Amino acid sequence: MHVLKQNIGILRHQDQVLAAQILQVPGGTLSIQPAKSGMPTALVNSRYLHSAYDPVREAARWAEERLKDCQPGETIVVLGVGLLYHVQALREMLPHDHVIMVVVADLSEFADCVSVRSLEGWGERVMWLTGSMTDMAARVTQNAKRVRILSYEPAATVYHDAYEHFRLQLRDHLAQQLSGALHIMVVGPIYGGSLPIARYVVNALEGLGHRVSWVDHSPHYAGYQSLATIRDHRLRLTVQQRLSDTLGVISLAHVAEDPPDLVLALSQAPLTMAVLEQMRRKKVLTAMWFVENFRHLTYWQQMVTGYDFWFVMQQAACLDTFRKAGAKQVSYLPLAAEPAIHQPLTLTPQEQQEFGADVSFLGAGYWNRRHILPSLVGHGWTFKLWGNEWDNPGMLETVLQREGARIDTPTSVKIFNATSVNINVHSYTGDGFDPEGDGVNPRTFELAGCGAFQVVDARTLLPALFDETMMAVIDGPDKLLSTVQTYLHEPARRMSMAASSRKRVLEAHTYAHRMKTLLGAVGMASPDRLGAILQGERHAGSLVARSMKSPELIPMLKQFPQTDRVELVDVARNIRKKGPEAKLNREELLILMMDEYRQEKRDFL
Amino acid sequence: MSRALLIQLARLGDLVQSLPVLTALQSAHPERALDLLCPSPLVSLGEIFPCVDRVYPWNGEQWHEVATTKMMDADQRLVQAKRYLSGYAFPTFSLAYNLNNHPRGILAAHVLSGLVVGPGEHGPLNPTLPAWADYLRQIAHDRGSNRVHLSDAFCGLCQVLPPSDIPYLKAPEVQLPLELERMVNGQPSTLIGIVLGAGDADRRIPLSVWQDLIAACAEHIPQSYLFLIGGEGEREAALALEHRLPGKYLNRVVNGCGRTSFPQLVGILNRCQWVVGSDTGPLHLGAMCGARAIGWYFSRARVHETGPYGVGHYVWQYERGQPLGSPDDHGTRAAGSSSAHWPVLETVHLMGEEKVNATTDEWDLWISHRDEWGAFYTRDDKPDEAVLRRKDTWETLSRLVNQDFRLEVSR
Repeated sequence: MHVLKQNIGILRHQDQVLAAQILQVPGGTLSIQPAKSGMPTALVNSRYLHSAYDPVREAARWAEERLKDCQPGETIVVLGVGLLYHVQALREMLPHDHVIMVVVADLSEFADCVSVRSLEGWGERVMWLTGSMTDMAARVTQNAKRVRILSYEPAATVYHDAYEHFRLQLRDHLAQQLSGALHIMVVGPIYGGSLPIARYVVNALEGLGHRVSWVDHSPHYAGYQSLATIRDHRLRLTVQQRLSDTLGVISLAHVAEDPPDLVLALSQAPLTMAVLEQMRRKKVLTAMWFVENFRHLTYWQQMVTGYDFWFVMQQAACLDTFRKAGAKQVSYLPLAAEPAIHQPLTLTPQEQQEFGADVSFLGAGYWNRRHILPSLVGHGWTFKLWGNEWDNPGMLETVLQREGARIDTPTSVKIFNATSVNINVHSYTGDGFDPEGDGVNPRTFELAGCGAFQVVDARTLLPALFDETMMAVIDGPDKLLSTVQTYLHEPARRMSMAASSRKRVLEAHTYAHRMKTLLGAVGMASPDRLGAILQGERHAGSLVARSMKSPELIPMLKQFPQTDRVELVDVARNIRKKGPEAKLNREELLILMMDEYRQEKRDFL
Repeated sequence: MSRALLIQLARLGDLVQSLPVLTALQSAHPERALDLLCPSPLVSLGEIFPCVDRVYPWNGEQWHEVATTKMMDADQRLVQAKRYLSGYAFPTFSLAYNLNNHPRGILAAHVLSGLVVGPGEHGPLNPTLPAWADYLRQIAHDRGSNRVHLSDAFCGLCQVLPPSDIPYLKAPEVQLPLELERMVNGQPSTLIGIVLGAGDADRRIPLSVWQDLIAACAEHIPQSYLFLIGGEGEREAALALEHRLPGKYLNRVVNGCGRTSFPQLVGILNRCQWVVGSDTGPLHLGAMCGARAIGWYFSRARVHETGPYGVGHYVWQYERGQPLGSPDDHGTRAAGSSSAHWPVLETVHLMGEEKVNATTDEWDLWISHRDEWGAFYTRDDKPDEAVLRRKDTWETLSRLVNQDFRLEVSR
């Protein structure tokens, strides 16, 4: 009782409301036992949150390990409470002015803790965050620029979902504050569905003010395709793989030429593990946006440990599977639309004639579509089927357009705009709808971006992106025909729903939104590297403020606009501009010297 | 006492070829201490140079690390760069002689001294080259009939004449590995250094050629022992060579690749009568240690610029036919590089002091000499017109040196 009273006194000084709340919560979340060392330890659901032998020593080791990466100026945000041994260890190891915040997910757990563990001598210098996760994330971003999250897993696991929610909230808050510009190298595939997405990503990042180098491998497609003339299957695969490997090395050469802060690869980008390993050796951070169904395309398994960050379009099972396979950081990042491309169009009469229909489907001839779509043939409406891989179309032959040719993006936008009811059935290799269907395909966003009405099959992740006032969602193939019939006769309702879906896209589902989220996550996970740049710490103004130890630098930095990102190469370039007669001071000479060594590429390839 | 610094940041061969200018500078300015700045791995060799007072290391890897560490402010980088310099306690140099026409050498010279001679002497950003540096640049581009040796051009660059005596590197007192000690200091014999390594792949001599040379030496030179010279990178090639040799020759070969420090190598080369190799650092080192060198010069190597410095050295210059050298690793026999094309037997005859034809189908034999304008090579002992023109070259280039500048240097 004495410990609790003393702790309440300490907490009251920091946060009166919190102190009062502690006295009111019932507690009983933690089961407290003495450890072998005599200190209390705690269990939840029969699982120890701290060592049963020596929790103090265990916490010291944990803190020591975590602090290796911490940099001055960062705010430490701890997830996981338990009996706070880990927080005490951090506090005692860090300098006085280093801010530590603890996210309290459950007041009852906290009350149990402060009943048995004294905060005296260290707890006064910890900021306790309570309330909703959204509020706590906002408080962190109000009080800190560079945030390093340290998760004490034994205790954090108990409130896994709550802390995950906190992370997402914090990521989004940080994403709103990004002011610094990165140099991002986008590596696209040779061909395929992720190629246009790579283009949208490049546009979005440029639009956000980042410097983007696009390693576009699509010009090699003709060469890749020509390998199809090799008849022997294994030989052809080997040669294709070699070409792909070479393209990986070409990507590496681009990295060597102009090292980026981040390499962002799209699905099917030809980066091999060897190339990724070399990038890691050269301290280049890498991310992959895997815009495929992880169950259908499984090549990610060979690459999972190669990237620093994975972004996937599915949740739950996907995230777990990637983590279990060794992914260091994996986050959900749904697809999106590109408003400059996916937009309402006014079509010419000829275009309306060619692309217009009551009902259309655009996509490849997957098994389930071949079985579902014939139900739309032979009614009193026009039905057009667009896309490739529709060989042997059976009764769909009469509606197949352009003999099953691949449809490019501009044409697809015209089709969406010219159709009254667009059918959007996610691909699946079985009959009907995918029973595990979770991720939402790009077409959903693209149709919405065009302000086009769609009937879409239910996906578990769809409701968080669009609601049923924006598109017609059906939970089985048997609902398709009736839904089409209903909406064909309700043009006003269709238009209203399509307009709502477009509004939602513009508010939350563009590639610019996705890139902000992606960079927020990357910045949060590497606060001392990309996080710092994104927070504007490489801006000339910020560098001037930090040039305490070399004041000679200040006039050199002041030559740049305050909000320009300035690196060694920029300062060196300005020095060289002084011309052949210039007399340089020692600092200028040293900067030029370092710039010479910076350009060295000797062991990159 | 004022101190001058000579900067040579290039590789082993260039450092050894800088020994004449160091000797000449010390002799021209005996009152002034002369220090050397060279790449860190070569410091232990620089410390053996008799004319050098102190040797300072230039650690390129450390500079690269400071320059490329992610997320370091320019402020932090500068602090580290200054810490690097203060860590080596560089004194104030009244003068820096820079031999390297690249930004690192030029910048290092200006960082360490207010007065620079050589590339960069008009300012760290001024591309105007001094006359001798411009001459070197021209002959690197369009060799013409140049006969001024690189070592002597270094002297011109530093505004001194070539040394009156050929520099010599004495064996330092250093312990050798036991098996090397036994060979070097055992019974009287002819010790021949075989330089396996080469900085550039196109200057490597195929193993098959070395195999033939070793066999020929063993057959034709009684009591001859062959010492394989190379660094860590040549260990594998040396083992492969030993593997290829017939058993009867193995006791005549000692593999020193990757097993000696520079002081130990200098000690061993002092015991060698001959050293054979392409245009490489150890070949030049052997020449400076008193061994007679026989160079096989092909690819871009040219006897008149970089032949072993001194008197009585031989160079077989590849003049005709297909390009030589092994583009692959040591173990492969490159097309056109079979030993039939290499002057193997002729080289053995030279070591036996036998008369050889100065010209084969593809190779010309050149012999080294020296006079007051430095080292030069002749065929048939007859200096040609180009050799005689060296005096004019020296006079022309020396006239171009700014007199005020020269005065400042001499002060």
